[in-house]
Amino acid sequence: MIKKHLSIYTFSTKNRLNINNIKDNIMENKKMTMALFSGSIDKLTGAGVVLSGAAADDMDVDVYVLLMGARAFVKGNENKIDGLSEYPELKEEFLKSLETLKVSTWIEFFEMSKELTNVKIHICSLAGKMWGGEKMEDFIDLADDICGIGEYITSAQEADVHLFI
Amino acid sequence: MTTEELTALTVNKSVDARGTACPGPLLEAKKAIGTIGSGDIMEVLSADEGTKKDIPKWANKKGHDYLGTVEESGYFKIYLKKG
Repeated sequence: MIKKHLSIYTFSTKNRLNINNIKDNIMENKKMTMALFSGSIDKLTGAGVVLSGAAADDMDVDVYVLLMGARAFVKGNENKIDGLSEYPELKEEFLKSLETLKVSTWIEFFEMSKELTNVKIHICSLAGKMWGGEKMEDFIDLADDICGIGEYITSAQEADVHLFI
Repeated sequence: MTTEELTALTVNKSVDARGTACPGPLLEAKKAIGTIGSGDIMEVLSADEGTKKDIPKWANKKGHDYLGTVEESGYFKIYLKKG
């Protein structure tokens, strides 16, 4: 489909169309699928940074929030900092560095990315239930829908970039 | 472009991202470029070393022209022309 359109533009153009404009207009955005399994502040921040990079690059992103990740998306938990996935003993040092370097919070990264590009946040239904989230109103506004694992697998199969964090 | 040519440019949009680390400057640049017109010049001020390579690559990929970087004391200015 994309190839077909491109060839039409490439060969029919008489007025030197800028190739980048053609790309912007015709080519689909690259797609990223992220499985966000972790819900600790270090991994959430990392996920936010990666998401920002994808947003700056105009990628279409689907984030699937799995088991431990879903805890952070249940209302009331989003600002809780309970532990780290890596180097738990260095939590204070990590938090201090985030502050010193003025790193955005994971929520801010996610919000900014949603403003810049097409980012959809899907909460795995099982994961939500584990932390008391059964319906959309149980989750923070970042969440777009509740889904099953099949949707994640299909999305991952179609993605140009697939990450598990 | 030479440093003299770059600093002589009329800048349409200046983004001061010196307060943030990666990915702050890239996000600031991405947001700001949407506010200017094709052919406009934008400068991004950053003190984050990763930005130096990141923004030129991003700009070229997105169809903008990377014009050059000028070193200042403790930071640098990246000049872009919107495509």
